[in-house]
Amino acid sequence: MKYIYSFIFILLLAACRQAQPFDEDAYDERLSGGGLATVFDETQGAFGHEVGGLNKRDNEVHGIGDVTFEQSFVAAPAPVNSGLGPLFNNVSCISCHHNDGKGTPSAGMTNSSLLIRLSVPGKDAQGQVSGVDGFGGQLQDLGIFGKQPEGTVEISYIDSIVTYLEGTTVTLRKPTYRILNPYQPLPANLELSPRLAPSVFGLGLLENIPEATILGFADENDTDGDGISGKANYGWNYFTKRKELGRFGLKASMPDILNQSAGAFHQDMGITTYLFPTEAVYGQPQFDGLADEPELADTLLNAVAFYLKTLSVPARRNVTDPEVKRGQALFKETGCANCHKPVVQTGINLAIPALSNQRIQPFTDLLLHDMGPALSDYREDFLANGNEWRTPPLWGIGLFEKTNGTPYFLHDGRARSVEEAILWHGGEAEKTKNSYMKLSVSERNALLKFLKSL
Amino acid sequence: MRKMTITLSVFLLWGSMGCKPSTVDQEDFDNLKKEVINHFADHVAVATYEDLHTGANNLHNALLALEANPIEANLATARTAWKEMRSVWEQSESFLFGPVDANSYDPNTDTWPTDYVQMDSLLASTNPLSVSDIEGFTLSLRGYHPIEYILFGNHGDRTAASITARQKTYMINLSTDLKNSCSKLLNDWVTPPKYVDEVKNAGNGSTIYLKKQEIYLTIVEGLIGICEEVGEGKMKDPFDTQDPGIVESPYSGNSTTDFKNNIMGIQNVYLGKYKIDGKGLNDLVAAKNKSLDNKIQTQITAAINSFDNITMYYEDAIVPPGQRVQIQQTMDALATLKTTLDTELKPFIIQYITD
Repeated sequence: MKYIYSFIFILLLAACRQAQPFDEDAYDERLSGGGLATVFDETQGAFGHEVGGLNKRDNEVHGIGDVTFEQSFVAAPAPVNSGLGPLFNNVSCISCHHNDGKGTPSAGMTNSSLLIRLSVPGKDAQGQVSGVDGFGGQLQDLGIFGKQPEGTVEISYIDSIVTYLEGTTVTLRKPTYRILNPYQPLPANLELSPRLAPSVFGLGLLENIPEATILGFADENDTDGDGISGKANYGWNYFTKRKELGRFGLKASMPDILNQSAGAFHQDMGITTYLFPTEAVYGQPQFDGLADEPELADTLLNAVAFYLKTLSVPARRNVTDPEVKRGQALFKETGCANCHKPVVQTGINLAIPALSNQRIQPFTDLLLHDMGPALSDYREDFLANGNEWRTPPLWGIGLFEKTNGTPYFLHDGRARSVEEAILWHGGEAEKTKNSYMKLSVSERNALLKFLKSL
Repeated sequence: MRKMTITLSVFLLWGSMGCKPSTVDQEDFDNLKKEVINHFADHVAVATYEDLHTGANNLHNALLALEANPIEANLATARTAWKEMRSVWEQSESFLFGPVDANSYDPNTDTWPTDYVQMDSLLASTNPLSVSDIEGFTLSLRGYHPIEYILFGNHGDRTAASITARQKTYMINLSTDLKNSCSKLLNDWVTPPKYVDEVKNAGNGSTIYLKKQEIYLTIVEGLIGICEEVGEGKMKDPFDTQDPGIVESPYSGNSTTDFKNNIMGIQNVYLGKYKIDGKGLNDLVAAKNKSLDNKIQTQITAAINSFDNITMYYEDAIVPPGQRVQIQQTMDALATLKTTLDTELKPFIIQYITD
């Protein structure tokens, strides 16, 4: 009998034991993408790895998406990869998202990754800003042979100097854009917004962050008085045919990876899909008149979206380096971490374990923030105004030199280094930038070294 | 692009670091690490790109001769020149990093598929087809494959007399464009700021490769990458779909040779043996783990030899009855090699090259 009492006593003891809070320092900080979606590769291929734990079928679909992402498309009708154009910005996904990474801020060349969104004031039925008659919502600056592009883009830069307290200077370059040789006159009230191709890894994790988490970061009217707002954007989902919380795109106007991918096929490459079954140039003289829609098979669009959803995040490096640690502390102290949220928890995802319930380090809140007039495009994008841009994730930024050569940052690639990008911050981030500028040289170096470790 | 078997292996390996006895003196091993990189840079990478440049010149000259005298013998010479150049290029794909990647030489010269619609309208137009025109064309209208299409037709059914004047102009200027790309690629490696120095000075002043380990991992990732691309992409995609239309290099019937040359490129890098046999990864591995070196060398040789069993045109071999068994055997050999490179060679580098 006494054994039974002892047993009950032990059971009671066990039941009383409370779960101890797991010490934040006990997490492995290298695991940017969590347990199965972090990859240890520091080479140029670092962004191109599949998440772990996929079943055989998903593994195949990822592979098919990978191939489609890399394929060059050609003019229709063609036996293979048919449907490019008639007008386009580039011929494959990989041409802009080189090595699944960032783009090069030029336009009209084979390795160009900058495009120009066009609009006139007013909103369409979905709440998006109105496109331009004869041009639509994006300038296609290339065409298949014999088709006149909508125009070409001229980019010029004006330098300005920023000086730190101790006298060190940094040269910033401010771009201006002109559309040359438009195939028909452009309206006087034209608005344009340059957009540089962002990196495409880790998107599945971002898509899997619960909506409530993102909205929990929002503080549109700055009720806590910290000078940082954080506003959610809501864009149109062409699949569900309703407005949904935006997560992707430089103004967070795209609700998911599928819409983002189909939009890029349609506008950047002129390839129709089941989400966008009408040629981008329909109604324009460049229209090919072919009844070959959708040009991309449904399965291939879905496979590309799945490929992007299941790309891993590269692991952080040098996480125990004392200077990196110091930089990490300064990242918080100066206020960078207010918007570039270091740690976020993803939601449950029964289909893909690697994305499910993971502690990730994206360094973004996926919200819009006022970045000041110097970065403004003076153009709306659903709920975003000209000054507002989505906080970009910072994971992987230390590897862009390896994956993409010169690492171009910000929405239009004007910044040629992380330091330049920091110095462009204005608006809500002005105070944080000023805090950064007041740091000593060694503190700034520590902060930059921390960013290099991401 | 790459499958993830790496995470675990890295963890496992860190657990086992320092457990194995070294069979060579550490100083010798350190010297060997430098020698292998230097030899790779000068005598594998640069030597290959020199040959590629020479190959482009030979092709260009052969096309000029064909234009001047369109006889079958000159067509045959031009086709041989195309295949020879192609062989070098495919071998170079085992190290697709550095300028070839960063400066877009790969897509500028080796984009596939052929864009028949655009090529037909281009040839029918009054476009001068000058080199500068070609530089502005979409990628599918540049590089190896449009030249291949004009030189070979369908499996070599083109005759010298049937090549039109416009096709010749296009082909010759395409070869100049190709020559220019090869020349720039070589220059990016050997003229200041020389990429070859970044490779050789890895871990010792290079701004790209802060540690020697980084260049070694870059090289090994390149080997794994091409192994995967051939075994799980170039061969497998047409094999699975049984679609001859998606086979690369179909006009010349050169597909299987292309694939084999890709894997011979792996051998060149691993053995440090292109034209000159010098220190290679094999020496480094053998110094610490002879059985791993034996295993890798055996698997590379097996994979290369297995291609010889595919004797039909690849686009015919994938369609039953074809030679699907032989193709599967080659893909299996490539999968085995890739697994070894990924789960044994790569961890070896992380374990033994830490500086």
